[in-house]
Amino acid sequence: MIKLEGVSKVYDDVTVAAKNVTLDIAKGEFVFLVGPSGSGKSTIIRLLLRQEPPTEGDIWVAGKHLNRLPSWKVPLLRRSVGTVFQDFKLLPNKTVYENVSFALEVIGRPKHVIQAQVPQVLRLVDLATKADRMPLQLSGGEQQRVSIARAFVNRPLILLADEPTGNLDPGTSVGIMRLLDRINRTGTTVVMATHDHAIVDAMRRRVVALERGAVVRDERGGVYQQSSESAASPVTKAEE
Amino acid sequence: MRLQYILTNTTQGIRRNLLVVASAVLVVFVMLMLVFGAILVRWSIQDELTGWTEGVRVIAFLSDEVEGDEVGAMQIEIASWENVEDVIYFSKAMALEEARDSMAKDYPDALAIIEEDPSLLPASLRIRPTEAADYREIRDRLVVMSGVRDVEVAAEAIDRLVERSNKWSQFAVWIGFIIGATAIVLIANTIRMAVWARREELAIMKLVGAGNWYVRLPFLLEGLFEGLVGAALAIAVILQFHQGIIGLLQTSLDPEPIVLDGRFLLLQSLSVLFLGAAAGVAGAAFGMVGLLRD
Repeated sequence: MIKLEGVSKVYDDVTVAAKNVTLDIAKGEFVFLVGPSGSGKSTIIRLLLRQEPPTEGDIWVAGKHLNRLPSWKVPLLRRSVGTVFQDFKLLPNKTVYENVSFALEVIGRPKHVIQAQVPQVLRLVDLATKADRMPLQLSGGEQQRVSIARAFVNRPLILLADEPTGNLDPGTSVGIMRLLDRINRTGTTVVMATHDHAIVDAMRRRVVALERGAVVRDERGGVYQQSSESAASPVTKAEE
Repeated sequence: MRLQYILTNTTQGIRRNLLVVASAVLVVFVMLMLVFGAILVRWSIQDELTGWTEGVRVIAFLSDEVEGDEVGAMQIEIASWENVEDVIYFSKAMALEEARDSMAKDYPDALAIIEEDPSLLPASLRIRPTEAADYREIRDRLVVMSGVRDVEVAAEAIDRLVERSNKWSQFAVWIGFIIGATAIVLIANTIRMAVWARREELAIMKLVGAGNWYVRLPFLLEGLFEGLVGAALAIAVILQFHQGIIGLLQTSLDPEPIVLDGRFLLLQSLSVLFLGAAAGVAGAAFGMVGLLRD
């Protein structure tokens, strides 16, 4: 579903944001990208969205070779990839319903499809009763659920989440993670960048650890910090 | 759904920056009014001049000594020149008749002097060039011809008029271009402001997979609207007042009223509308440069 081969990203010939990253993520996987700030997690997310090209290496997302994808086909790529961000990126002048339906309107979905899918996804994120509220009338956790609903309403193959719990308290974060887990169980591949130890440790999913842009660990059922037990099932050997 | 969305966004963009949009419309209006006015004035002058140049004659006044067969021989020789359409002999008697017709009302004293001594008026050969511009060559050959006392051509005055009108038209068109560039920059600025005001919404649109044209179209339509409204205003004003503008030329050129052909006016109006639309779209496209990258 997602494949990176020897991907590097260097800004201004000086700052190395990604260094020779090789990853293979299968359909339906849930993968944590972990590491401290500046380790390259968000850069990987941006590269997967084709918000910027890699300096070196090849990237495939949902069967598309991003290096060769013409710019006019980028919108088609993004229709198969949902995105969730730390700052929610909701439109403050639109209601919950409108924020979610917006994602379908702009890709030209017919009205009857929108009217069917939006209430459905709002029920999924447990916001059906708050469809007419404005984002500022919601809590942080609820706003993030709206953001997830918007990312998922088009039933994408992949969901990319960049620090989705970064602005939330631990209790609310658990709710968001349950929601992402539910979405993952529908067959959607989820890639989540985070530096939240508790969440990663609790979920026990595949963990790809990054440091200074390089993959230093890739293990299934992993935790945030490498331990002797978790190192037992590596997906790939980490490059130091 | 898509069309409705695009149109809603276009009207929202216009309402959001109403004053800036109004200023862009006004600049387009002034630009196109100048251009349209210049086109009409130039056309009117050209139309008048076409009639004049068709009537261009080179007049060779003959010496009194030239008579009978000699005149016939001169006539045959001149008529054989390749840039001469025809040659008419105008005798002293015919010149006197012509003087009576043209001078009786306004210059009776001068006519009285001529009537006392009709020999004052010379006989002449009136030569029609194949092309009006050939008059110079014909004049140069006549000046050195035996039996020719003097040569006169009204075309020199026409040349001066054409030159002057061309300069004024060029000046108006250049001013139009300068204001046109200003209009494009101003429209670009309104679009940049609109894009900036909606930057968050646009970023989300692109993230969820909105097509490039879908994102850009409302802004292009906003620019198009500004260009078309400015052009429509310019057309309305010029069509309303064009007779007055052309009337100013009439007194100095010809007492005959200049009437602009309806088809010509329609075609020029459409051209102006197209220019307005092009300025609007170009301004909008220019305004979006660098702002709507992935």
